[in-house]
Amino acid sequence: MKKIETRHWTFLGLFVCIGLVMLSDVKLDIPVSAQTRKMYDFIDSLPAGSVLMVSFDHEASSLPEIRPIGLVILRHAFSKGHRLIGVALLAEGTVIGYRLMLKTAAEYGREYGKDYVYLGFKPQYIAAILSMGESIPRTFPRDYLGRPYEQFALLREVDNYDDITAVISITDGSLTTHWMEYGGARYGVRVLSGMTAAMVTTFDPYVASGQMHSLVAGLRGAAEYERLINRKGGGERGMLAQTTAHLYVIGLVLLGNVIYFRSRRKRKST
Amino acid sequence: MLIEVPEARFVLSMLWHYVAVTASQASPWFDADKLPTLIAALISIIIVLYTTYHRSSREKFKMREIAGLKAVEEAIGRATEMARPVLYTPGWGGDIQRPTTIASMNFLSHVAGKTAAYDCTLVYPTHDPVLMAVAQEVARESYARAGYPDRFRSENISYVTSSQFGYAAAVDGIISRLKPASIFLLGTFEAESLILAETGNSVGAIQIAGTDSTIQLSFFIVACDYTLIGEELFAASGYLSGDRSILASVRAQDILKVLIGLLLVIAVIWSTIDALSGHAGSGWWSF
Amino acid sequence: MNRKVALGVCFIFGLVMFAQYFSQHPTARSVNQAILEYWQIIFAFTLLVGVVSVFKNNVVQIRRGQDRSYRLITLAGLVAMPFLAFIWGIKADTPFMWVFENIQAPMQSTVFALLAFFVASASFRGFRARSIPAAILLLSALIILLSRSAIGTFIFPQMTEVADWIRNYPSMSARRAILIGIGLGSLTTSMRVILGIERTWLGGGK
Repeated sequence: MKKIETRHWTFLGLFVCIGLVMLSDVKLDIPVSAQTRKMYDFIDSLPAGSVLMVSFDHEASSLPEIRPIGLVILRHAFSKGHRLIGVALLAEGTVIGYRLMLKTAAEYGREYGKDYVYLGFKPQYIAAILSMGESIPRTFPRDYLGRPYEQFALLREVDNYDDITAVISITDGSLTTHWMEYGGARYGVRVLSGMTAAMVTTFDPYVASGQMHSLVAGLRGAAEYERLINRKGGGERGMLAQTTAHLYVIGLVLLGNVIYFRSRRKRKST
Repeated sequence: MLIEVPEARFVLSMLWHYVAVTASQASPWFDADKLPTLIAALISIIIVLYTTYHRSSREKFKMREIAGLKAVEEAIGRATEMARPVLYTPGWGGDIQRPTTIASMNFLSHVAGKTAAYDCTLVYPTHDPVLMAVAQEVARESYARAGYPDRFRSENISYVTSSQFGYAAAVDGIISRLKPASIFLLGTFEAESLILAETGNSVGAIQIAGTDSTIQLSFFIVACDYTLIGEELFAASGYLSGDRSILASVRAQDILKVLIGLLLVIAVIWSTIDALSGHAGSGWWSF
Repeated sequence: MNRKVALGVCFIFGLVMFAQYFSQHPTARSVNQAILEYWQIIFAFTLLVGVVSVFKNNVVQIRRGQDRSYRLITLAGLVAMPFLAFIWGIKADTPFMWVFENIQAPMQSTVFALLAFFVASASFRGFRARSIPAAILLLSALIILLSRSAIGTFIFPQMTEVADWIRNYPSMSARRAILIGIGLGSLTTSMRVILGIERTWLGGGK
């Protein structure tokens, strides 16, 4: 049998800690950050009927983190009466985005074709973003289910980014950079984003410079947003696991440094 | 200084406005809002051409030592002594159109030449079929240039899958089974970076990494032995091969950095004076 | 000759795409649109190269008897998914999507979840306060970690503000400097490709 190494014990410890906490019923009180509030205020302040494009630019692997973010943004937008156009620029996000839109639209009694439409997936995301800047019907001549673009009342009013208030990119990678570089810089469309926590530091400079309007970051952002719209969606529960993992890693780092300094002192004394 | 004089600032902003309006009126084809970008692009092109082709600019100049690049020879030598392969992978995030991937290909050319000379197996899994084809040609050419075309094995340079974590799982599997002595992680990486680096660490490989993502850089710095930070990846192949065109690009980058630094200083001083004087100002720096 | 043609095509299209960026004229925009559509079509054909390569490699390895069972599963998946897609389509509630949502997505999430375990082991191994700068970095990392958890503000009420300051000032300055360097490297490399100075993308050689 293979020798159990230190890293195996760290893995086991993490598994046990998170497992135990998730079996409990601990509730967390998560204060809302300015960052999340900025996106909430923007969507909240738009006049009812504003057209927003939601782009599902993520893979299936990040679903546990991305789904609460997508749910909470869609719920807020539908609750305010906004009209949504869904697209996917990564293949794996296609059916995930479609299901999310159907689910949240049904919660608020929204009608497909009038209040929301899902256009589906387009490969080569840079080409797709640039192409939509010229003409969305030319980029997506049919919706996800194969019906003609002109068939839908919502889409008849939308030709390119000029007819859209903002694009919300739900991403687990750096695809939002292309929305800003091509959609924002070239065609002037406002870009917002919901992203995994790991990507936030990449996009902080863009929010600071105004190239991106605002973002919702990770499970914590989703939990904060859930608090604002007063509706649970998995963010708060996920924060329990995340908080436990963070505390565990902090404990490991401190333990590692204690071991390091003790062995250093021992070496100095001998 | 000139920019401290309100009248001078007014004249400069009017001049800028005149140039922009004239440019757009002279041709309806030209979008005047993009004039600053065009000027910056033209300056950059001129500098790159100057450093590449001008005789005095082509004199050899010294690059500082980069620890990760000095370790390349050691890494491949180690793999040869241990009779274990070298693994090189360009990450999931990039395809052939990305400059980072092209820089990685240049690096691959050098590594492939060394593995050919040392008769060490080079394994190159990738997520993109076009990258696979280009890498096969690059490696084949390097093996031929090293004088060992018969040692090249195209099946070692393979396409695994386009899915991010399918690619990570496949490369992890290759690392776990083949136990390479040296691993090169050079290119555009996303979330799979730490998974690959930690697996490489677990088999005891020496790891040299470099990427254009600031997030993944931090993972590599923790988990890898050597990390090429930022533009060191772009300079790497010039450093290793002495290729004049790459070295010329490095010099062009240095010149552009100085210009950007000057622009930043001027913009900071200008905007500070505008803010302190309560002037509306032109805001030219926010183009 | 082939290389000269490829370099010529690269230069012409590079020049056209560069020029059209600065124009809002309808002709420039339609040229842009057309090239983008051709790009998407070409991309679709490159996927065929990958499929053939996977098939060939796995068949060769199966014949050699290496990891036979895993490679047979790979080939079975490679054949089964297009079969399901052609017969029943790829929309929601089709067998193709059932396989994706119930097999592929959970497998991918599982591999992604490994990251959490690897972060723990890498942190335990790597984060040592070996020097004053390393200690400052370690302290900053701990503050950021605590601020992203739910209990940070209970330990120290201004935790979020301190973490935001670290992210928005020292950390962002360093990141911007690295990004500028990377941006310049990308700029010069792209120019070398368009101008034909850089030819690695052709498959090696000068």
